[in-house]
This record gives sequence, C-alpha cells and structure tokens, in this order.
Amino acid sequence: MLTKIAGGDIIDPVNGRLGKGDVWIRDDKIVAAPAAGAADRTIEADGCIVMAGAIDIHSHIGGGNVNTARLLLPEQHAAHQARPAATPLSNAGWSTFETGCLYAKMGFTTVVEPAMSPGAALHTHLELADIPIIDKATLAILGNDDFLLSMIRDTASSTMIEDYVAWTVASTRALGVKVINAGAAAAFKENVRTFSLDDMVPSYGVSSRKIVKTLQAAVEGLGVPHPLHVHCNNLGSPGSADTAAATIAAAEGLPLHLAHLQFYGYGTEGKRRFSSAAARLAELVNATPEVTIDIGQVMFGQTVTISSDVMRQFSARGSAHPKKAVIHDGDGNGGGIVPYSYGKDFYGTMQWAIGLELFLLIDDPWRVFFTTDHPNGAPFTAYPALFELLMSRKARNEMAAGLSQSALALSTLAAIDREYTFEEIAIMTRAAPAKLLGLTDRGHLGGGAIADIAVYRRDEDIAKMLGKAAYVFKDGDLVVQNGEITHYRWGKALRLNPSPDKAMVRRLEDYHQQRYGLSLDWFNFPDSAIAREQPFGEVPCRT
Amino acid sequence: MAVAWIGNRETLVEHAAAHAAALLWSSRCPVFSFDTDIHGTRAAIALAERVGAAYDHADGAALARETALFTDKGAMTVAPGETRRRADVVVIVGELPKIHHDFVGELADTTPDLSARNEREFFLVGSNGTPAPPLVNGRTATLLSCGQVSLGATLAALRAQYRGRQTSQSVSNFDDFAKALTAARFPVFLFSGHATEGLALEMLQGLIADLNRKSRASGLHLPASENGWGSVLASTWMTGFPLRTGFARGFPEFDPWRYDVARMIAAGEADLHLRISTTIVRPQKKRNRLALIALAKTKEPVAGAAVTIAIGEAGVEHEAVVYSSRTGSLRSVDAQAASELPSAATIIRLVANNVSAEAALPC
Repeated sequence: MLTKIAGGDIIDPVNGRLGKGDVWIRDDKIVAAPAAGAADRTIEADGCIVMAGAIDIHSHIGGGNVNTARLLLPEQHAAHQARPAATPLSNAGWSTFETGCLYAKMGFTTVVEPAMSPGAALHTHLELADIPIIDKATLAILGNDDFLLSMIRDTASSTMIEDYVAWTVASTRALGVKVINAGAAAAFKENVRTFSLDDMVPSYGVSSRKIVKTLQAAVEGLGVPHPLHVHCNNLGSPGSADTAAATIAAAEGLPLHLAHLQFYGYGTEGKRRFSSAAARLAELVNATPEVTIDIGQVMFGQTVTISSDVMRQFSARGSAHPKKAVIHDGDGNGGGIVPYSYGKDFYGTMQWAIGLELFLLIDDPWRVFFTTDHPNGAPFTAYPALFELLMSRKARNEMAAGLSQSALALSTLAAIDREYTFEEIAIMTRAAPAKLLGLTDRGHLGGGAIADIAVYRRDEDIAKMLGKAAYVFKDGDLVVQNGEITHYRWGKALRLNPSPDKAMVRRLEDYHQQRYGLSLDWFNFPDSAIAREQPFGEVPCRT
Repeated sequence: MAVAWIGNRETLVEHAAAHAAALLWSSRCPVFSFDTDIHGTRAAIALAERVGAAYDHADGAALARETALFTDKGAMTVAPGETRRRADVVVIVGELPKIHHDFVGELADTTPDLSARNEREFFLVGSNGTPAPPLVNGRTATLLSCGQVSLGATLAALRAQYRGRQTSQSVSNFDDFAKALTAARFPVFLFSGHATEGLALEMLQGLIADLNRKSRASGLHLPASENGWGSVLASTWMTGFPLRTGFARGFPEFDPWRYDVARMIAAGEADLHLRISTTIVRPQKKRNRLALIALAKTKEPVAGAAVTIAIGEAGVEHEAVVYSSRTGSLRSVDAQAASELPSAATIIRLVANNVSAEAALPC
C-alpha cells in the first residue's frame, strides 16, 4: 500500500528536512517520492507538523516492580476510570493495555523499560507483549548480583566479564545494560544504610566505582550500542550533585548515560540545606561529550516511585503517601515501591525547577533526553504539559507564580530565556534516542526507515497539540486519528542477541546448581513462551 | 476420545464452544473461577471483559488474604534464592501449604553461603498443633507459641516482647529466639495466606519492620497457590487490579467482597459459572438455576454442567508459563507428557470467537 502524507511541515533533523513537504510510505517503510503512480491513500497534513514517532528511553512500563506498584495501589486508578472504548482492555486502569494506547495517542512509538531484573525477564517480556501498538525494549540490571561481584573480586579477565554480560543480555532479550546504585543492594543486605561511589561492598571488597567501570568497559567491549545506563549512588539526597559530578568524571572518555539527573541535582545551600545544583551539573555535562543524560522531570501530584535502588527506597518509605510500601530484597537488586505525592511546597518546587534548569542549561539536545522517569517524577501522561514548559517561557513563568518562591530563589530558572524549538524537540525525542539506542531504522523520516510517524495539528496550546496527535503511523499502520486509537496491533520487543560463550554457560549452569539448587533452565525461556507472533526484533551490536 | 459435551451428550469441541458462548452472551451475571497458567488466565480475563464477567481464583479466599496484604499494607519481602543463600535464621509462620515443604526441607539441608555465620536455625510460630514441614538431618524448629491463642495474637506477643513491652502471655522459647536474632545477619520469615489471617500477616510485617530499624530481616511469601499467584500477577498487569475484579459495567472494578465469586454463587447473584481448572468440580446442588460451564481435565461430562470441554494440564500436557515460588517469578515449563488435549487458553479463545464478531481476543 502506498500512502502519502501531503503538505505537512516536515521536521526531520537527521536528514536535514525542515519545511513543507510530503512523506511517502510503502507498506511498513518510508520511501522516497515515487517517480510515477498515485498514492492509495493520502493524508492531508496541511497545517500539521510531521515528525518521526517519538522514542522514550527511560520509562518504567512493565516488569515485577511495576506490577507490584499496581498491586500496592489499586485506589490510584479506580477513581479515574476511562469509559468503555472500542479497543480490548484499553480502558483498563493503569494497565499494560492502557500504557500502549496512551503512548500512541501522544505520537510515541518506541518505549524502553530501563530496569529489568534478569531473573524476572520472562515476566517483564510477558507484560511488554501485552502493551499494544508500540515497540518496546528493556535494559537488564547488573551490578548487585553475586556472580558479577565475585568475578570482580576475584579479578576475572575482562573477557570473562564480557561473556557474562553477553549471556545476560542474550538470555534476557535486553537491548542494553543498566547498573543501579552499584553494589548498594548487596551492601543493604548486610545492613549498610548509605553507599557512595567509593564505598566498598562488604564481603566482596569491591567499590561501587569499580563495578561501574567494569560494566562500562564490558558494554563498550561487546559493542552494545547503548552506553552503560547508570543510576548513580545517593539518589535524592541533599548533596547528591557531588556524586553525580564524580560519576560524570568517571566516564573518562568512554560513553556513559546517567539516568534521571534531576534526582541528583541537589546542593546543600540555604537554611533547609537543599538547593539547586543544576547549573553546576549542566556545565559538567556540557563539558563532557561522552556523557548523555535523561532528566526525570518532576511534575506535581500523586505518583508512585518504583526503583530497584532498594536501599534508597527503604530510606524513603517514611515519606510514603499513602502510607504503605513494598521493599523487596531480590537475587540482585530487588526493588522498592513507595507512593509519593509531589506538592508545590519548597521541596517539590525545587525538584521541579532543577529538572527544567537541566533541560534548559544543557546545550546539546543530542545529549539530553526527555523523561519523567515514569512514574517516579510524574506519570508519562504529564509529557504534553512538560513539552509546553520547555517550549514556552510564558508557561514556565505562569506555573512558577504559584510555587514556592523561596525555592525558586535558590535556582536559576527565572533567569533562563531559552525555549525549545520543534527541531530541538524532534532531536531530543526522536533522532537522539534512536542514535543512543543504536536503532538506525527509526527516529527519522528518511527512505528505508520504518514508517513510525507522528502528525500533530498546529495549535497555540502546545500541550493540546502534542498530547493528541492528529495521525500516528506504526510500521505503516494508521493507529491513531485525532487523538484516538483506530487500529489495534502488537509491537515487538527490541533486543540484542550476542552469542553466549559456551564455557560461560557451563560455568553458569554449575553456579546455579550449586548456589540455588536449580538448573539454568529454570531461568531461561523460549520465544514461544510469550505467545505472540514474532515477539522480538533483533538489533545488531556494533562491530 | 471425546473431549466435549453439551449436557451429557458428546459433541464436537466447536459446537460445545459455540454453546458456551451463547450461554455467556445471554447471561445476566456470569462469573469465572479458574486455576490455570498465565496464558489461561490472560485469555480468561480477556473473555471476562467481553462478556462482563467477574473473576476469581477457584480457591480464592487464601489468595485474597495475601493480596490484601499488598493492597492495604505493603510488605518487606525477599526472593527465595536469597533466602536459600542468606537466611541464617528461618522462622516458619503458621501452617505452610504442602507445596512448599520441599523448599523448607531444602533450607534445612543447606547452609547460607552468603552469610558470614554459615549456619541456619529454625523456629516455628504457632501452637503445638501447628503442622510443621518436615526438616531433614534430624533438625527441628523451636516452637514460639502462646498456647492455643491465634497466630495473630502469638505474633503480636512476639513483636511486643521483642520491643521490650509487657505481654499478658509470654511466648515460649522467646529467649532462644531473641538470642538467635541478636546473632542473625538476615533472618527470614516464611509466610502464606494459606492458613494465616490477614491481621496476622500484617502483624508479621510489623515485626519485620521493627527488626529492620537496626538490622536486616525480611519475609518470604510462599503463596497459597502458585497458579493463583500467577493469576494475581497477570490480572494486575492486564487490568491494573488483582483477582476479584469484575467487568459488569464494561470496565474493570476491583472489589474483594463484591467480586468474591464463591460468595456471588452462594448468594445467588451469579447465573452462570465458567470454571477453568484441571481438577473436576464436585456436583453441586442445583440452586438458583446456576448454569455451569466446566473446562476440566476429564474423560466424561462434569455432573450438572451445561457444557464440559476437556483441557490438558498446563506444564504437563502442553508447555506453559507458571508462577514458581522456587524462583519467585514466572517460569516457562515444557510439556512433560504431551497430549492432544487443548490448553485452557486455546478453548477460551475458541469460546470468545463465538461470543461476537469482533476482533480476536487480545490474549
């Protein structure tokens, strides 16, 4: 089928297309304008902006901890049920089915679940398989597991460590590797309550820094396209900017991605000893080209914090709102689920301002990524409002007027004039995420790309415009019209597939038998277990 | 071999599925109860949405207690693998389901390799009559008891004594327990909703929270039913809610009392019961003209059922994904003795395809 999206304002930074034009789709791919022949279907896009489908690199949309959060908080979505819709289960609360529909309506076509416990890979992929329309991917968590810590302690060769990382990525069908407060979950099991970059994990004598550097080298050595995805130590603590700065410095020329930097943007100035260190961190990021970051923007209201940083979540359980929490010591990281409400008080305002400062003070939109760390800073449904804050200084000022002025006095936000352009939005939410994840087939509108396309009708109300796409195509299927789902389909989970080393597999088999009394088979699964046609799409490693 | 019946009359599976669909479509208040694998659960929930049914586990009371711990209170939990490798004190809380006795025996047969203590002590909270899982190597669990009072009261006394408060009844062997806790690096409490009331589960979590003020401890959840807990997980990701959810108004509503399927049947609220389980239901007294559709592992029609369709056992006759309390997550299981009997999910989809001309179920 040949489709023409006619007369829209094309924003495609990768291919240098900015301005009025057409986009052609043949079946599931974008193609150059045909020399002859008429389109089977024409979408009139006059007065519309046409971009590639958006990509979210860090959103907790599925897996054990996310599901535990749903279980913990049935009341959080009972009160705002959608009315029955035409699509199966798409009106079902905070569910997998609704997740896919809501993302698609905003023009997002690929979303990365950034924290998959390797032991819960099957569970995670089953949830992702029930998220309709969009493509998904996961990052496998390493860095608190006994096998890796023991290898580092015993000074295993870099090849052995790469073999283990490769086996983990391959067997869990992951697209990359994440390390979460490296070593802290293992230390917490031994009753350690705070843990910094140069602290040692008891019983292993391995520092958090050593774990990060080891995994960073392994990811680079294996040619995993996405740099090691790092959740730093001391998340949420006053003074955590020092930790983030030290971690940025530890990149040492190799690619490193720091997740939700907002949660580390905290200084210790002022009478409350809680201030913005965003300007300092932004300067560091600007000066360190090998580092990329995503924000984890805070927006106000009720949410739930979900993290495999079990030590941090344990310490935060006292602030739970409503007052209940789950803290789980897992085989590696485990996790903590702590509901939280961001108020417009001093602290909430400070967090809100820090996130925006980072967005606006980091110069290069290719290295700063649009996230709320869903749902930790805010649910992803807050994205339209966040786009507006980034693109309109007026909207920021109006919002700031109702917030804590004493907090804003300790940030530089009021002095920042920058407004994101649509081109910068297209880079930050399309082109750059595709590049960062190694997904050459998306994030742009060039010939050969998969036809993931979002069309937005221009409107002065940016939140309205970007919150309900006029048209969304996924793999060439028209799935959204006028902000409503019109076609239900199933996406894939994107994965790497490095070949596991046979000796490492034997070693892991012995390890699981001896330590857990179980065969490795207990932790593996065939693709058929997902019960969908072609549940996975393979992405190559760099060679 | 016959695999489907309408009443007592043998028929083709397709005819039985069509008849089941017609019954579901005309039902005023259909209810589902199931004891099946993840894909059976997914298909059943998708069908429930289509026909406006409420659903629950076939033996939902114990699971409802476990679910309520998470929905109402929260918990501190630990993975079974970490329990095996790290627990230097194991406290068995009340009666555990027999399906977990092998794991408890395994704990008794091993020592924690990630603990500096490299030894493991056992305690049992309950009364003299509390059945304890057999421990190997002649090991025994030290009883922590307040006589014949309830498990919740015993746990409350244990918690109070640990905090140095006065209690009306002291817990037997408390000094041994206190001594063990002092030396322990990572005590783990094994619990289940199988025979433990909700308030007792909450009290246990209170004790674990108290212990974590200065040291570490956690609880290992050993669910009353592995299939059941798997269904809780699948229901939660599909609808946002655990079992005891209903689609009567076209969207999912969670209400652990209202959608207690056993209660709905007993109260005469339901007029159609779809039961999905490899086990066969006992013949029920005809009451309130409740019609039964039975998907069961059977060679003959289930007594009293309007429709019976034979299904294979998940993980035995066909591959399956199930919850494993041994890993604390979902696990893929190959067919151990493959047969031609269809899976529950296959039959449910067949029924759904007859319910209306809409698109196929999403699961």
